Amino acid sequence: MSRLRRSRTHKAQRDVHRASRTRARTRDLDQIQLIDLDPKNRAKLEAQELDYEKPGLAQHYCVECAKYYETDSALQSHWRSKVHKRRCKALKEPAYTIEESERAAGLGRDKKREIAAAAESDIAMSPAVVIFYLLYSLS
Amino acid sequence: MRIEKCYFCSKSVYPGHGSAFVRNDAKVFRFCTSKCHKNFKMKRNPRKVRWTKAFRKAAGKEMVIDSTIDFEKRRNVPVRYDRDLLQTTLHAMKRVAEVKKRREHAFWKNRMATSREKLKAHRKKVSESRTAVRLLEPVADKSSPERIKTKIKGAEKRTSALVVGEGRSMSMEID
Repeated sequence: MSRLRRSRTHKAQRDVHRASRTRARTRDLDQIQLIDLDPKNRAKLEAQELDYEKPGLAQHYCVECAKYYETDSALQSHWRSKVHKRRCKALKEPAYTIEESERAAGLGRDKKREIAAAAESDIAMSPAVVIFYLLYSLS
Repeated sequence: MRIEKCYFCSKSVYPGHGSAFVRNDAKVFRFCTSKCHKNFKMKRNPRKVRWTKAFRKAAGKEMVIDSTIDFEKRRNVPVRYDRDLLQTTLHAMKRVAEVKKRREHAFWKNRMATSREKLKAHRKKVSESRTAVRLLEPVADKSSPERIKTKIKGAEKRTSALVVGEGRSMSMEID
């Protein structure tokens, strides 16, 4: 039988390891969503000062994709591209954070007042719960 | 000493195990294994990778809302050692684990029951659709006349260019 799939089908992702080096790191989705997309920060990022180190002197920046472009037309065509649209879609749902990983593991963040309030309001609880709340009222 | 949680799969990371990555905004990402670290470097979303806890919780495969989950917490409060307190805590931990295990089993059983019903309904639907429409093979039409080979009289004899004087050779015609 002939080969069904070619080795590199698309995206031209040749060297994943090289792209994943720490020095080649780009901004993460949660950073973009929680910091960059804030109107204040966004305006600052879109109107950056001339920077000779950055591509296109840092004048054509896509906030969603965290990427500099050489010219305005390049940025415009990027906005029309599939890559940009895919990124916008990914940014619509809440980004995964360290807090979520902890919540998934069943590790919560303590808010002392909330616990105290819960201990007062909940009377009918399993014995284990009562013991635990007693512990915390003791300590 | 703290037992951290893996950023990718949410497993416990014990002291001396795994690795950590500190992002340039001082956020610490802990990883239990190189597998999780590699997946992080590939910028994968743990919510979409089936073997992570985040996926299982997001997809409704595990309990999300339960009072037994609320016990484990990051409490940044130092507690002075007290023998009685420790004993009661240990006792409580065991008891909570017991309750949690039972509830998780009940949750799983319930989940399996609903999924089994779904599967049964799907199978029934498929089998019904199979019996309802039966595709027949096209029947050969016998009314059309059969093909009969007939000889045509006076059919031209094939001429050959290789034989001299058969019309297709390169000889000149002479009157």
